[in-house]
Amino acid sequence: MRQLRKNKFVSLFRSSPLNDFLVPFRKAQNQWVARYIIIVFALIVRCAVGIGPYSGENTPPMYGDFEAQRHWMEITTHLPIGKWYYFDLQYWGLDYPPLTAFHSWLLGKIGSLIDSSWFALNVSRGLETPDLKSYMRITALFSELALYIPAVILFTRWMGRYYNNASTIDQTIIAAAILYQPALIIIDHGHFQYNSVMLGFSLLALVNLLYDNFCVAAILFTLSISFKQMALYYAPIFFFYLLRICLRSPRTHSVCILRFVSVGCSVIATLFLEFLPFVVFGGIGQIKQCLIRLFPFERGLFEDKVSNFWCATNIFIKYKSIFSTSQLKTIALVFTLIGIAPSCGLICFKPRKELLPWCLASCSMAFYLFSFQVHEKSILLPWMPITLLLNEVDSDVISMVCWFFNAALFSMWPLLKRDGLIIQYAVLGILSNWLMGNLSWIRKALRAIKLPVHYRNLATPVLPHNLFWRVIIVGSYIAAIGLQIVEFVFDPPKSLPHLWIIGNVEISFCSFALFWIWCNYRMFTLAVDDSKLKTE
Amino acid sequence: MDMRNTVETKQQPQNRAVEELPRKYNFSLWNIWVASTLLKILLFPTYHSTDFDVHRNWLSITKLLPLRKWYFEHTSQWTLDYPPFFAYFEWVLSRFVPEAIARDGCIKLTAKDGEYGYLTVIFQRSTVIISEIVLFLALQRLIDTSRSLREKKRNFVIASSIALSPGFFIIDHIHFQYNGFLFAFLVLSLVEARLGNYRRCAFWFAVLLCLKHIFLYMAPAYFVYLLSGFCLKRRKIDTSKSFGENVKQVLFDTIIWRHLFQLGLIVIGVFTVAFGPFVYYGELDQVMSRLFPFSRGLTHAYWAPNFWALYSFVDRILIQLGKNIPGFERLACAILKKSRPVDYSGASSLTRGIVGDVEFVFLPQILPVHTFMLTLFYQILCLIPLFFRPSYERFLGALTYCAWTSFLFGWHVHEKAILLAIIPYSFCVIQDRKLLPSFELLATAGYISLFPLLFGSAEWLFKALITFVWVVVFNTSFNEVCHFSTTLARRAAALDRINLIYEFLMVPFCLFIQMTDVESRNFPILDRLQFLRLMAYSVYCGAGVLSSWNSFSWLYFMDDSVWEEKKEW
Repeated sequence: MRQLRKNKFVSLFRSSPLNDFLVPFRKAQNQWVARYIIIVFALIVRCAVGIGPYSGENTPPMYGDFEAQRHWMEITTHLPIGKWYYFDLQYWGLDYPPLTAFHSWLLGKIGSLIDSSWFALNVSRGLETPDLKSYMRITALFSELALYIPAVILFTRWMGRYYNNASTIDQTIIAAAILYQPALIIIDHGHFQYNSVMLGFSLLALVNLLYDNFCVAAILFTLSISFKQMALYYAPIFFFYLLRICLRSPRTHSVCILRFVSVGCSVIATLFLEFLPFVVFGGIGQIKQCLIRLFPFERGLFEDKVSNFWCATNIFIKYKSIFSTSQLKTIALVFTLIGIAPSCGLICFKPRKELLPWCLASCSMAFYLFSFQVHEKSILLPWMPITLLLNEVDSDVISMVCWFFNAALFSMWPLLKRDGLIIQYAVLGILSNWLMGNLSWIRKALRAIKLPVHYRNLATPVLPHNLFWRVIIVGSYIAAIGLQIVEFVFDPPKSLPHLWIIGNVEISFCSFALFWIWCNYRMFTLAVDDSKLKTE
Repeated sequence: MDMRNTVETKQQPQNRAVEELPRKYNFSLWNIWVASTLLKILLFPTYHSTDFDVHRNWLSITKLLPLRKWYFEHTSQWTLDYPPFFAYFEWVLSRFVPEAIARDGCIKLTAKDGEYGYLTVIFQRSTVIISEIVLFLALQRLIDTSRSLREKKRNFVIASSIALSPGFFIIDHIHFQYNGFLFAFLVLSLVEARLGNYRRCAFWFAVLLCLKHIFLYMAPAYFVYLLSGFCLKRRKIDTSKSFGENVKQVLFDTIIWRHLFQLGLIVIGVFTVAFGPFVYYGELDQVMSRLFPFSRGLTHAYWAPNFWALYSFVDRILIQLGKNIPGFERLACAILKKSRPVDYSGASSLTRGIVGDVEFVFLPQILPVHTFMLTLFYQILCLIPLFFRPSYERFLGALTYCAWTSFLFGWHVHEKAILLAIIPYSFCVIQDRKLLPSFELLATAGYISLFPLLFGSAEWLFKALITFVWVVVFNTSFNEVCHFSTTLARRAAALDRINLIYEFLMVPFCLFIQMTDVESRNFPILDRLQFLRLMAYSVYCGAGVLSSWNSFSWLYFMDDSVWEEKKEW
């Protein structure tokens, strides 16, 4: 860190369009304008995506995630709290933790003030009016504005101040690069879910860890888990980091019992308060029912097609016919534990703040790749800490991370195609890459073939220096684009109707697995290289 | 598709100073074009108005019928009522309609609306985006022809404010029209005027007139500027000489006949290309009757935020007072010299819009000739200084003034016409800091008055956010690049504060109107007040536009320092 402080921070996005847009506002008195611009334009892009279709539009009888969210608002506002986890489980029964239920209740109450027919019990099933859609879109937007967007700004600010020494305008540029990543936009505001709430709580918890507010971090992370249980992908890192900090503080090298107790108490108190209404109004059995709903282990190794280890190797080994479900659970558990071991071990031995995003990325990626019952949307969990790696001052990291973003978006293509979000997929993919300067090589290529294109410096290098990764990245891009073209032109053969989806799964899985290996490798080299980093 | 280069190659020799610019300044509109185009593609699924069907119908007319039948076709109620160049433009577009899209319902002469699929929407929306490239090229030319770095910065701010204007987002890319394409020609002609190329300036404006005749509002300013600036020499008339001598001097010395003929030829040439074929077929009367239908009411269904909106509003207030306060009616009639009893039955006519007659209950009736006289009076007033001192700066002022008065006092003005005032004003505003408050007022009020065009809930947040961010960004940017005025004494600081309060009040105002709209499903009384909400928009915005016009008039007529040629750029 000492060395880094001496060298002036040079933003890797210097020649990118993002920089071009924001640099006119770099004067100190105009900095607030730059921040306004990125936030308001982030909202504008989300609004524009929200004008498009959502999952399950016009597809009775079950519809999709949009209807699920609406249905939860319907049941939470009309039923006593004790029935929330029991009501008509076949039709989108509530299967997220209590905070989602409370969130739905609040939004349902507000929505009922506007139009009570939107959430009328039973009769509103499958309701699809333009005003209802606008209301739901706006709630998703405001949920993100309240939690995720400030969390990103706070994180980049900490990084700029204590880690990479970025100026205020550079912090804004990096925050913009994170906020315009398509994966979350298209799932939350296109497909329709409230992932930004869970991710926002987790990221706020991380920011509080950076500022050494351990109890606040613990409470926020508990809230994140109790919004969506998927946040458990991050739990090992938070757990081991807090444990290590409590047992042997890096500053004083002593055991901090008081800290340990307070962190533990805040977690328990948060959980207690959340489940209290359920226990008071429905008895202790509520907790068991809630847990049954949250972890549906009887569902199978994977649903649909998802780019993780099990689904990708399923074409060679038919797991479901060889092993029973309980055996598969054990196998998946063992693989997952092996997968998360490096990151958990590292954060135990080197509890350094700059390693936290790396360990979170590696750990959640291991969960995504190896755990039981993974959805394609779960890629958002590794995606969030990986976006934070844009704060690293290393062009190799930036290019690898950008590769991951594209792979993540590509892996969701079958889902988005089903939702009818094709235009949004293409536009957001181009927009985010172009903003970060990943398409600036086109200009160079055009100049190379003597086309009259104005000269500009190359923005971020798209490829890392290492030849191996260059080959891998170029290969995966070619394969992905080739597959999209083939899919566009030809129908899959009759005997293999899912051929294109399987191709998508294989390409995405290979990218994710390789990225995970690289991430672990970088994490360890970063941890070993003490000279460059600060510990406290 | 790099506009910067296509234009810059020609301009290279003029811009020696530009070559020395630091690399960090990037004055290309390329980035703005890419970003806004991507955003516009995301807007494909939004609501579109009947104007979409209008243009689809024109595509079909020009594709399926021979030229001589274009202005006679009336299967659909959306008959062709733009001048010939726009019809030719539609003809060009119709050549590119793929077979699949034509079968989708894009090319069909039908009386019914809405008989087309999503493919047609994608195609037509793409034509808007592609035709708008002309606007970006024109704006890039504006930047590239700057004479110094400071001027380049100023022009860049102007160009980006126009390129990102919420007006184009709302009207062109959601509501559906081709204004971006049309304003490109206005920008081109203004660029040529700035460079002193009067012939090209006249050419582009003539082309613009043949594309959309609403730009006739601006024609007086062009006429006087070109006449006085290009065709006349400044000569003092010597009273000691005889009358005959003076006439001789005017004829052979003051008037530059060569220039006059050149301009005349250019304008007549353009109009011949446009209207010639229709004259040849003897259809000019038919074309003209389509272009100038005089059977509409004073105000549109939604009142444009102009003088008549306030006038009608006052009448409305008087009606309410007269109905509810005993004795008021007698008083009002005595003052306004009206016979009693007052007939309130005409009160509902203002809401109907398309119907010919608008009846005011208390205030005097307004006939087309009144609006025409008012407009003409103010236009002539502003053209007098331009005639005597035809500088480019004053020309911009007069142009803005002409368009603005036509908007304020014209007969049956659409709210969309506010762009005719805002776009030229953004060229003016950098000349002096003193103009900035009134520009901000006009832009804020003008763009917000467009909100009722999109009445659905899906686009509400989008239009509000894009207008908000535009106002924040360009208030800051214009504030940075405007010329500092040397005579600060005349700036009325208190009025600026009122401006600012007005602009801030826009936010709660819009939210409140939207809330009453949202709540109208719960409280039926609010639903009956539908018209009142529109009236609130046009009255509130109309007050802003009118007071902005007042302060602009003051500066135009009273402060010559603003309008003189700037020595230093």
